[in-house]
Amino acid sequence: MSAPDIFYVEDDTDFAFIMQQAVKEVDDKVSISIIENGIDALEMLHQLTTNSVKPKLILLDLNLPGLSGLDLVRRIREIPYLKYVPVIFFTTSENPKDIKASMEFGANAYLTKPSGYLNLISCLRSLHDFWFTKHLTVN
Amino acid sequence: MQHFQVDLTNCDKEPIHIPGKVQPHGFLVSVSSANLLITYISQNAGHFIGINAKDLLGKHINELSVAINATAPAEQLSQLLNVGKLNKSFENINPFRIDINSEAWYVIINPSGNQLVLEFEPAESNLALDVQKVIGRSVTEILSGRNLETLLTNAAAEVKKVIAYDRVMIYRFNEDGHGEVVAEVKNDDLEPFFGLHYPASDIPRQARELYKINLTRIIADVHAEDAPIITFQEDGAPLDLTHSGLRAVSPIHIQYLKNMGVASSFSISLMAHGELWGLVACHNYSPRFINYKARDAAKLIGQLLSSALEYRQDEEDTEKLQQLIAAAEAVSGNLKNYGNLQEALVAGKTTIKDITEAAGAAVIFNGAITTIGHTPTEKQITDIAGWLQANMSDAIYYTNRFPEIHTAARAYSDTASGIMACSLSKDLSELIIWFKPEQLTSISWAGKPDKPVEKGEDGLLYLNPRQSFEAWTEIVKHTSDRWSNEEVSAVVKVREEIIYAINRKANEIRLLNERLQLAYEELDTFSYTISHDLRTPLSSIKSYSEFLLQSNKSLDDNARRILERVVNGADKMNFLIQEILNYTRVGRADVKYHKIDMAALLKEVTGEVMNALNPPNLKLVIGDTPNIYGDQVMITQVFTNLINNAVKYSSRVNSGLVEVKGVVENNETIYTVSDNGVGIDVNYFSRVFELFKRMDNVKDFEGTGVGLAIVKRIIEKHQARIWFDSKLKVGTVFYVAFRNL
Repeated sequence: MSAPDIFYVEDDTDFAFIMQQAVKEVDDKVSISIIENGIDALEMLHQLTTNSVKPKLILLDLNLPGLSGLDLVRRIREIPYLKYVPVIFFTTSENPKDIKASMEFGANAYLTKPSGYLNLISCLRSLHDFWFTKHLTVN
Repeated sequence: MQHFQVDLTNCDKEPIHIPGKVQPHGFLVSVSSANLLITYISQNAGHFIGINAKDLLGKHINELSVAINATAPAEQLSQLLNVGKLNKSFENINPFRIDINSEAWYVIINPSGNQLVLEFEPAESNLALDVQKVIGRSVTEILSGRNLETLLTNAAAEVKKVIAYDRVMIYRFNEDGHGEVVAEVKNDDLEPFFGLHYPASDIPRQARELYKINLTRIIADVHAEDAPIITFQEDGAPLDLTHSGLRAVSPIHIQYLKNMGVASSFSISLMAHGELWGLVACHNYSPRFINYKARDAAKLIGQLLSSALEYRQDEEDTEKLQQLIAAAEAVSGNLKNYGNLQEALVAGKTTIKDITEAAGAAVIFNGAITTIGHTPTEKQITDIAGWLQANMSDAIYYTNRFPEIHTAARAYSDTASGIMACSLSKDLSELIIWFKPEQLTSISWAGKPDKPVEKGEDGLLYLNPRQSFEAWTEIVKHTSDRWSNEEVSAVVKVREEIIYAINRKANEIRLLNERLQLAYEELDTFSYTISHDLRTPLSSIKSYSEFLLQSNKSLDDNARRILERVVNGADKMNFLIQEILNYTRVGRADVKYHKIDMAALLKEVTGEVMNALNPPNLKLVIGDTPNIYGDQVMITQVFTNLINNAVKYSSRVNSGLVEVKGVVENNETIYTVSDNGVGIDVNYFSRVFELFKRMDNVKDFEGTGVGLAIVKRIIEKHQARIWFDSKLKVGTVFYVAFRNL
């Protein structure tokens, strides 16, 4: 069992599909898997941990069925093996309360979903540059 | 000598019950009740019985009896007196027939103090008819009258038949004491008095009291000289003739009758509820005497008529009252059924007018005047309302002489000589007014009430009775019919109902407002949620379109153009949703007042606006910037919108000028944002602050029509005021006045 580069938890299948396409557009060598609810996501992360593999980046929506994004990030941080995997919130909410809470619960960044495919690509390019190129060289 | 006040009540002072004289067609003898010795005797007694009246004074009544008729028993009179004394009444004795000089006479006995008064009068009247026979038929005739008016006319006709006087009138005393001829039957050659009104002073108070005691009164010959009453008593206390039929008439009244050309007069009192309702007044133009029995018959007619008219009057009053009550109830019912007050009061079959006998009514409510029936003009009603507001101290006001009180009302005295008003609100701005017209009938008074007072020959200040009965007509100006107690109580009742209805309505409105407020809040929440939820699918639409454009290389140009339009549309919609969110957010937020550094705020806002729009040739001036209190974020929104608009709409004129400045005035700080741009069409003035409203002349400019709606909302939240001046192609000035805390 291998881990995807990007572990994306998103219940909006439309946005998930667009995301998949955008990631492919930015770098088709980057793999992405999409999980539609919080409980499944946690279970799958446990399995990956058992197999000693982990994703390079976890993207979370805020409102998820089963387990909310905030609960999920807390549970992820409780797994020592995943403690340092970068977790980024990717959501429509601009509520400052949500942003603050996500940081407190252990997220590394908070991004509001850009409007449209083209904006998403631009957004992903800069993310890719940072997390998959510069970040790695930094480490 | 007592000094009389010279006024119309002059006659009231005359002691008419002790005239010291009797009418000369009969004679009077008064004996002490204790010993039957003659104390008083009228001088003319001698003339009838052929001895000197004075010689009888102090003698026993039996001596009079002998003097009258030597052949009859000497005790015939003393026996009568003793029987009457024993029975404590002379009712069954009166009249007692005796012969004097072989002629038939009546003796009528009445007690007066410690005296017994014997009046002698001829038993023959100069009436050919058998009175008793006529009466029975008359009563039937009289009572056949269906209403008060025919009842009275029938009565006058029957009385005339019985006593055959030239003229028989029925007077009625009105509330203020003045009399009115309400029925008349007369010989054809006589001038009619029907409808004439008499001043109250014509029949003075003490005369009216005597009419209540003596139900008939005859003055047989106005021109005959009265016979004085003599007595042997040194102190000469005058004999009280209250119950006397022969009692001499007041010289004032005699003069009055002479002036009318009347030679003989007869009256029958009409009583209702123990009060003098009126008189059957009979005039004859030659001397006329009717005997005791005829007078008694007339008295009977009077009593029958009295009870009949009491009943009929009550019946008519009750009927009238019932009508008013029914109308009041109908109007009260309307108040419950009609949605609006004016409609309830004037639109139904029975209206507010019908609860009184008014000719018209006006309802002043919610700043509008609604009228029904005959009323003054709206302008005049406004005048009346103004006067009432200044002068009304109670909830209800009424007068039947309004133009006498408020001279401006003389211009419309024909419709509003009488007014009754009731207030529906504390500040008297809401009223109902009823109107009664001037009494159009010209009322003829029997002489000028203001005739100057003349000194009598004897030096007494007697008011001279009317020298002529030529009625002169005086239109009773500025006076309407009176407002009856029944009308007033109907108004009081309906007023209560109306106020109850108004309060109920006010309560309903308050509840409705509360519900509206809730609904608004719900709507805000709803709009917020909806807008928010719309963004996700909208975002998908845009993303899919862009993805197609980006990834699908097989798309032709046409498909690409269409997809681009989809993306454009989605963007616009997204922007609108954002604006709605901003707008609803204002509704949801609470204002937290802070002192705002306006210089800093304006600097930041203008900087941003100028940066974003970057207009060529536009000058932006910031004047004084007094600080204000408000919510920093919201106030920033207000000025961003106003300045953005000012700059945007004047960016295309040659030398655009936008000026922002504030000034402190009394309780407010007023900021103005002015420009010399495109301006606002006057037809749009009322819609400037409405959501999504954009003017025709700004179609070329970017905008959503939400900005000013947000501004208005924020201003309202701050309990501030906003307004504007504008002229097409000249420019616009927006004013915002913030309260100084």
